[in-house]
Amino acid sequence: MNVNDTRELLWLAGGLYGLAFAIGFLKTFKINWTPFRETPLAVISLGFILHTRALYIRGLDVHGCPLGNTLERIQFILWSLILAFLILRLLWRLDLLGSFCAGLSFCAGWLSLLFPQLDSNYWLSENYEKLFSSPWIELHASIAIFSYGLFSLLTIVCSMYLVQRKALLARKFNKLSSFLPPIQELEVAAMRLLTVGVLFLTISIIVGGMHWTRHPELVSHAKLSVTLVLWIGYFMVFVLHKTGKLYGSKFSKTSITLYFVTIGSLALVNTRTKETNTTPQSVITNPENSSNE
Amino acid sequence: MSESISQSLFLLGCSHQVADLSAREKISLPSGSIDEFYNGLGKIKGIEEYLLLNTCNRTEIYAASKSNLSRNLIIQYLSKFRNLDPEFLNRYSYQRSNHEVVSHLFEVASGIDSQMVGETEILGQVKKAYSDACKRNISGKMLNRLFQKGFQAAKWARTHTGISRGQVNLGNVLCELARRIFGKVANCRLLVLGTGEVAENTMEAFKSRASQAITVTGRTFDWCPLSRNKPSELAEKFGGFALSFNQYKDSLHLFDVILTSTTSGQSMINVEDIKRAMKKRPAKPLFLIDASVPRNIVEDVANIDNVFLYNMDDISEIANENLKSRMSEVEKCRGALAQKAQKLWDQMTQQREIS
Repeated sequence: MNVNDTRELLWLAGGLYGLAFAIGFLKTFKINWTPFRETPLAVISLGFILHTRALYIRGLDVHGCPLGNTLERIQFILWSLILAFLILRLLWRLDLLGSFCAGLSFCAGWLSLLFPQLDSNYWLSENYEKLFSSPWIELHASIAIFSYGLFSLLTIVCSMYLVQRKALLARKFNKLSSFLPPIQELEVAAMRLLTVGVLFLTISIIVGGMHWTRHPELVSHAKLSVTLVLWIGYFMVFVLHKTGKLYGSKFSKTSITLYFVTIGSLALVNTRTKETNTTPQSVITNPENSSNE
Repeated sequence: MSESISQSLFLLGCSHQVADLSAREKISLPSGSIDEFYNGLGKIKGIEEYLLLNTCNRTEIYAASKSNLSRNLIIQYLSKFRNLDPEFLNRYSYQRSNHEVVSHLFEVASGIDSQMVGETEILGQVKKAYSDACKRNISGKMLNRLFQKGFQAAKWARTHTGISRGQVNLGNVLCELARRIFGKVANCRLLVLGTGEVAENTMEAFKSRASQAITVTGRTFDWCPLSRNKPSELAEKFGGFALSFNQYKDSLHLFDVILTSTTSGQSMINVEDIKRAMKKRPAKPLFLIDASVPRNIVEDVANIDNVFLYNMDDISEIANENLKSRMSEVEKCRGALAQKAQKLWDQMTQQREIS
């Protein structure tokens, strides 16, 4: 085990999230063993420390926030998801939410690691100097990805809402629904996550917009359109919920749909980038390289 | 009845398992005669420690002795005290000795011997009986150990098996559903339309969970000033509020849980009423319970988002499912408790041999 190797650390962090998910699952289904009580949180925390170290090492390699390829973006979203959960865990004791987050991080994390083509070594190319040409773009990208992490958590909370609602409507309560929080609390939690997510996404767009006004040629139309559509989408959901026009199951379903559009948009932007650039992503293209082209 | 031999633990009891209500009423001890009963019981030859468990469903006498203890003397004493024919008592009672007493107490304390399997009230009653015996100084080394281990076994059974899983009482089922929707029941605002038994049962369950906003309304509220004003009486009983029957439709949005339990046979809440109420509380769920037959709430309201409508069949089904789930755990629990009882009995007999 090399503690300085990003991929090995990511495998290990993913494994720990998987372990936390398995223990949380056993706990939920009443297999009592006293050490289990706080174990999932401890394991998630340990996984998060390793995850942070992995991204830090990759950050040193790429001289910036590691968001240069699909694997890095997925891992950064998952890192944000776990960070958001750990912050929320300080406020509410939501162990089952932790299990859901750990499960998602395990599956998505290991899946992204299983395909080496998602992790191109772009920083090893001859002309590579730095991932981001300006600290403002780096800030924009990292805040945007962090907001995606919050939206991931929002999706999990909305899924929990739908599971609980389904149980209430069907009058069938299985063990899973017995351990889910009340639907009113889930909707309140979802709204808070949406508020914070929209706030971060807005900040990210303002920061990115400042860069775009100076160098409009560096941002692809696809990237710009998708980002704006997503922001408008989430902002509309926020406004409609606030005004009492979108709530309950429709709110949850819309949030989940928007999240899948968000994840899909990452692939879209990436594909476009590959077609047009040798560097990983158009939005983070170095202006000097771009002008040379 | 044959004369028994020397025994360490003995139990004479009567419960719903062997006696119907009328027989239990005859055997059960009135609360005012407990002191007198204990005084006479202590005078029985050979009895060293003793304890009476007297609840609405069971009357049990636990006795312990290191020397010869005649069980017949206890049976005769109880039949004489309650003016019963010994044959009657023999028919409607059970006797246990030694490790059987340990097993029995474990089952009673854990609730698997209760009429409502898994109910928790019995543990409190056993604790109270033990505490009473301790105060009277009639519980000694053997019964102390037996009952303290019994409390531990009861706790184990509730924690490690599903005998207390789910609610089986109507009011408790409703509270559990309200908890799944709103979280703390104490914060739920309850409106009850009607003043029947179901309404009272529900208010009692909500009140026991510290609900501060219970409101009652009923048709008798306004129309007859000379008649008994049942809604006001109920509101007073449960520390709630009475609402004029003419106003309830305009106030629906103020409540989280609405229960209808009337015999009016008419629809009292329709789709338009709920749509109007939900417009005023869009993001807050509404829990409706129609406990009336014929129904008081139009079924189509269940199609409105964030509205959860349950009728009596739904509630009964949930209670029955929970009960089935508890019953399926009884044998597993009984087996585990029997092992624990045997282990305790072995320890008790070993200690006795050493001493």
